[in-house]
Amino acid sequence: MLSIKNLHASVEGKEILKGINLEIKAGEVHAIMGPNGSGKSTLSQVLAGNEAFEVTEGEVTLNGENLLDLETEERAREGIFLAFQYPVEIPGVSNLQFLRTAVNAMRTHRGEEEMNAAEFMKLAKEVSKQVDLDPSFLKRGVNEGFSGGEKKRNEIMQALLLQPKLAILDETDSGLDIDALKVVSDGVNALRSEDRAILMVTHYQRLLNHIVPDYVHVLAGGKIIKSGGRELALELEEKGYGWLGIKDEETADSAAN
Amino acid sequence: MKPAPTLSSAFLESAGQSLPEALLELRKQRGTALVDMPLPTRKTENWKYSSKYLKLTDDMASTLPSEGKALSGQEVPGYRIVFLNGVIQPQASELPQVDGIRVASFRDLDDQEAAELADQLDNTLDDKAVQLARLNAARFEDGLLIRLQPDAVLDQPLFVIHEVTADASGSAFPRIFVDAGRHSQATLVEEYRSSGAEPVMVNTVTEFKLADGANITNVRLTMEGENVQHIGATGVRQQRNARFESHTVGFGGPLRRHDLQVRLEGEGGECKLNGVVVTQGKQHFDNHTTIEHVAAHCNSEETYRNIAADQSHAVFNGRIHIHQDAQKSNADMNNKNLLLSNGAEIDTKPELEIYADDVKCAHGATIGQLDEISLFYLVSRGIARREANVLLTMAFINELVEQIPLETVRETAHTRLNQFFDQTFQEV
Ligand SMILES: Nc1ncnc2c1ncn2[C@@H]1O[C@H](COP(=O)(O)OP(=O)(O)OP(=O)(O)O)[C@@H](O)[C@H]1O
Ligand SMILES: [Mg+2]
Repeated sequence: MLSIKNLHASVEGKEILKGINLEIKAGEVHAIMGPNGSGKSTLSQVLAGNEAFEVTEGEVTLNGENLLDLETEERAREGIFLAFQYPVEIPGVSNLQFLRTAVNAMRTHRGEEEMNAAEFMKLAKEVSKQVDLDPSFLKRGVNEGFSGGEKKRNEIMQALLLQPKLAILDETDSGLDIDALKVVSDGVNALRSEDRAILMVTHYQRLLNHIVPDYVHVLAGGKIIKSGGRELALELEEKGYGWLGIKDEETADSAAN
Repeated sequence: MKPAPTLSSAFLESAGQSLPEALLELRKQRGTALVDMPLPTRKTENWKYSSKYLKLTDDMASTLPSEGKALSGQEVPGYRIVFLNGVIQPQASELPQVDGIRVASFRDLDDQEAAELADQLDNTLDDKAVQLARLNAARFEDGLLIRLQPDAVLDQPLFVIHEVTADASGSAFPRIFVDAGRHSQATLVEEYRSSGAEPVMVNTVTEFKLADGANITNVRLTMEGENVQHIGATGVRQQRNARFESHTVGFGGPLRRHDLQVRLEGEGGECKLNGVVVTQGKQHFDNHTTIEHVAAHCNSEETYRNIAADQSHAVFNGRIHIHQDAQKSNADMNNKNLLLSNGAEIDTKPELEIYADDVKCAHGATIGQLDEISLFYLVSRGIARREANVLLTMAFINELVEQIPLETVRETAHTRLNQFFDQTFQEV
């Protein structure tokens, strides 16, 4: 489904991604772990099309189609969804209006009829229940004044509404209490299906108890330096990143700069 | 040295004689006072950003004819007054018949009423500050008088349609005077429109006198065409516990100037001034507001938002003057500005003069652009870029548009805003 080859990306002239290679097939769940600042969010944002990051080398295809040629909104319509590490607050745009506009944009793209306000309200209420957000959150500004955990649940609500092909979840588990983690994990598991792939960035192995990944990758210094199965996460939890020689590599890197 | 430009004498030759004697006399006096009036220039403080947009040519000095023109405005339901080129059209109007409320054309006043009115006109505005709007008193051909007896309540809003037909160059000078008795209530909507394409000026003055406890809401929609220079002034004087609320929605033009001056002269007075201004192309809009806290224990709340696209230019100047005796004044002024292009310009200036010591006074002004990260968030959900731009721009003014108390006005505003969005945010 998603194929990343030798992806390099930089921001403000500084190279962050230094040759990422990753293959994700439909139905798979991949976890990406790695130290702070290693480029996990950058990778997520580049895939979603954030123009603040410049792709300098490499290619990314989604079901054979060149993803990097597409505008952000086109990528979304082709099925890319990014749950932001830091969801954006947009006062003055109601959550309901935002969600409905997004859902209808997707429907129009698929040649389906738009949902009217009443139909959408019904759907939105159901889905908000699924992520344990009170329907009153639909009336508020987008993420406006939401707590950290509420923002994350709002992201999952969007994923459930938009039904993407590839869901990229950037630390959607961070800042969640135990109950919320369960709610969010259930939401993600509800998304799991044969024709959908999930790429989740996390620092915690505890999420992986709820959402069992097929593969775990370690991203450090802008490269994937190790890949493995679910057991790699346990190993990381136990030993930290030191044993992978990350410190050394990073020092070498910065010395070279 | 070049002599400072003065108002051409052509602008002081008034034609129509259809007003009662006392008002003709007033008009003459006011005209005499304007002989050799200097026109604002770059050096005139309160016109420094706007004087370059002012283009008064002599062929705009004549009064636009009001006879034999097709009438519009009839689609507006409920009470309405239609001004055509500054003259009220009774056939097109629908006057309220409510006990204790007198609504009349200046032309229909008897001698005594006219004499009374002549004494009252132009007392709400600071001559020095409004400058060009003073021309109205020297040139008005008609006017709308609204007198509310104590406790009278106008049961529906009154729409005043100011239509200008610009088939030839010229000017129109509509005028409204509202005398609101104690505890009376009314909502007045002014809508400014135009047809035709010749360069014209609309020079308009609206005055409100609010007696104790009166409650007046004024909505102002400025929507004339690209050929219309609009110079408007609104003056308000409020006595004890009177409340005044104004909602301005303005779209730019070659020159748009509105002075809004509110005097809180009795304790417990309250005013709320909201404004939304949108400019595009090479348009201009300049709002100058003044709130005078003369008496103690008054509240004022002012919120203006400018949105400027393309190479347009918006100006906001908000002055709050708290007089020495106006203790326990509460004044809150907020002006936020959104630039939709690098070529657009917005000049904003809060001016606070505080002479009392026990007051609460807050003000804030910001100028910004649409937030890139918010935009990215929206389009990352599949929302079209144009739509995302519209959502974020509307988010900037929604709160103010929603506060407009009338559904029909909100709809009119939305329709015009959508045109603005269509022209500003191209489909990609
Ligand atoms: N807009 C930006 N301008 C400058 N530097 C940036 C920008 N965005 C990211 N970076 C830098 O790129 C590097 C990678 O950041 P990124 O957010 O991808 O890390 P991360 O792996 O997601 O870290 P964390 O685990 O803390 O979320 C960091 O050093 C960060 O400071
Ligand atoms: Mg991150």
